[in-house]
Amino acid sequence: MDSLKQIVSRVLNIDSINENVSRNNTEEWDSFNHLLLISEIEKELKVKFTMLEVEQIKTFKELQEVVSKKRK
Amino acid sequence: MKTIKEIISSKEIRGIADYFSLYRDVEGEIKRLQLQNSKIIKIALLSSFTVKGVKETLFIKCCEIGVVPEIYVGDYNQYSQEILDSKGRLYEFKPDLIIIFIDTITLLGNNYLLPYQISNEQRKAWVDEKLKEIVSLIKKINDNSSAKILLHNFEIPLHSPLGILENKQEFGFIESIEKINTGLRDAFKRDPQVHILDYDSFCSGIGRQNIMDYKMYFLGDIKIDLQYMPELCDKYLAYIKPLVQATRKCIVLDLDNILWGGIIGEDGIKGIKLGPDPEGKPFLEFQKYLLSLFNRGVALAINSSNNPEDALKVFREHPYMILKEEHFAAMQVNWNDKISNMKAIAEEINIGMDSLVFFDDDKLNREIVSNALPEVLVVDMPEDAALYLKKLMELNEFDTYQLTEEDRKRGRMYAEQRKRNKFQNAASDITGYLKNLKMVATIKKANSFSIPRISQLTQKTNQFNMTTRRYAEEDINKFSRSDNFLVLSVKIEDKFGDNGITGAVIVEKGNEGWRIDTFLLSCRVIGRKVEEVLLANVIEQAGNEGAKVLAGEFVHTKKNAPALDFYKNNGFKLASKDSGTEVWEYDLAKKYKSPDFIKVVKR
Repeated sequence: MDSLKQIVSRVLNIDSINENVSRNNTEEWDSFNHLLLISEIEKELKVKFTMLEVEQIKTFKELQEVVSKKRK
Repeated sequence: MKTIKEIISSKEIRGIADYFSLYRDVEGEIKRLQLQNSKIIKIALLSSFTVKGVKETLFIKCCEIGVVPEIYVGDYNQYSQEILDSKGRLYEFKPDLIIIFIDTITLLGNNYLLPYQISNEQRKAWVDEKLKEIVSLIKKINDNSSAKILLHNFEIPLHSPLGILENKQEFGFIESIEKINTGLRDAFKRDPQVHILDYDSFCSGIGRQNIMDYKMYFLGDIKIDLQYMPELCDKYLAYIKPLVQATRKCIVLDLDNILWGGIIGEDGIKGIKLGPDPEGKPFLEFQKYLLSLFNRGVALAINSSNNPEDALKVFREHPYMILKEEHFAAMQVNWNDKISNMKAIAEEINIGMDSLVFFDDDKLNREIVSNALPEVLVVDMPEDAALYLKKLMELNEFDTYQLTEEDRKRGRMYAEQRKRNKFQNAASDITGYLKNLKMVATIKKANSFSIPRISQLTQKTNQFNMTTRRYAEEDINKFSRSDNFLVLSVKIEDKFGDNGITGAVIVEKGNEGWRIDTFLLSCRVIGRKVEEVLLANVIEQAGNEGAKVLAGEFVHTKKNAPALDFYKNNGFKLASKDSGTEVWEYDLAKKYKSPDFIKVVKR
């Protein structure tokens, strides 16, 4: 199973993922790829996001937090 | 420079995201790949919502079957305007296939969630109006384009505000969508250009509860979960394969643990599992469905490591054996390796490796065959025999746009061919063999019965085909109605059975000179002098109608070597030659002698 980092890297096609990667500073992380990313994470990590969470997640750090909360 | 196949096989594809990433890898090189590849198809996708993902997935899936597509995606919900604008971008693109995906939510608009704000009468009128609207849009496409049209039907909603009373309505909301679906099916049943994609049954297959992810719908108007895009594209591919001649023709089967459970050489005829009990039933039903495919024209063959007498005993004596020797076009049961056997099968049936599908329970055998013969489709068989039937039913490799009488008989004809070959091996010389075949050639002008078959022959015949011009049914129809053209078909029967219509010729009549536009022969009857009988008929008719010269063209392709010397060997003289096209001429004052061992019937 891929880690969250691997999934983000694969879907957005960027090599180095760190906490600061965000929808504002990453061209590849556009609104469609954001949905694709959410869909992939749900499939691979077997979690479900709410619509509100999907809208509010803006950075890799926030994504990590939401996912780890769900996987507890 | 990498080829498209190398790029694709470098990545493991697990789902939609991988299609996006592969597409990203090749996007910059599409033009180069199109130039490199001979097979190109243009696909236009018109939809009522954002269908991101189809383009990327479909592109890669087409490449996997050896075709580099050009894909046009219409603007969001602009399908009507694009269809109606006869000078617009859609028609400028000149698509070969137009996919139309209108979703139920868009179709119903406000009535999707508020269906009972209109009366039953209004609903009936709405259905009529919608049907009329869609049918006239399709007609408009037919007027402006020769593309095949693939029209989605509508997903039947799961909800009803009336709950358990929904089915008690005089003309309910659910019924109205069902009515539109049957209306669409009926409207295009007889239209060879238009095909209905049963999207409702696709949704049922996935599970209608899961087809839409509601948050994705609210956030991005995405009406089919992105994860199901690859499956939807597989449905499209079933319609694309026959357009690019990527349809497969023959299923090659291993025996042990494929047609029966166990190993015949060890377990013996009483020990193998085949029959109505739980252990035998998966194999029994697997065979039944194979027989069903055989009856629609798919050829069957065997590639198995066994003692032939052990295997034959099962075919002849086992009470539950559905498939018999007479169903097989080739039987390679021996101790040779699987690869040589596969080559022998292709040669015996006279079809390409790219026409074969291989079923073997042994993983190593599958790997050996797919490495050595990458064109063969090697089915990734499940370990559990209970899943064989499911795997077989899911294959969408045998689709064709028409199913002629010849197609249905094909499996049987190949099997008859096997008997002919045995007979030929026994006969001492080829002429003696041909004489003993007692062939009858029935040569007829094209009629409504033979036109679909003639069109199909022009589409599929690659080897004995002088010009390889592909014609749609409509084209053959036009030729046959025109006074300036002669279209003939030839049907061959012999002592082993009926080969059906296996040759055709299209001739343009001039005053002085006639020109053979198309002259072809199905590979089933190559080498039997049938072409000479057909040519004799054309020569005779041209002479009778006062022509002086009969011209024949030869257009060289990678595959038509068997046709190379046909005109040369039959009294034609080379008149001109230019970049791959030769023109040969026959002086009609000369007498032409055709073989006398084929009895000719003219109608």
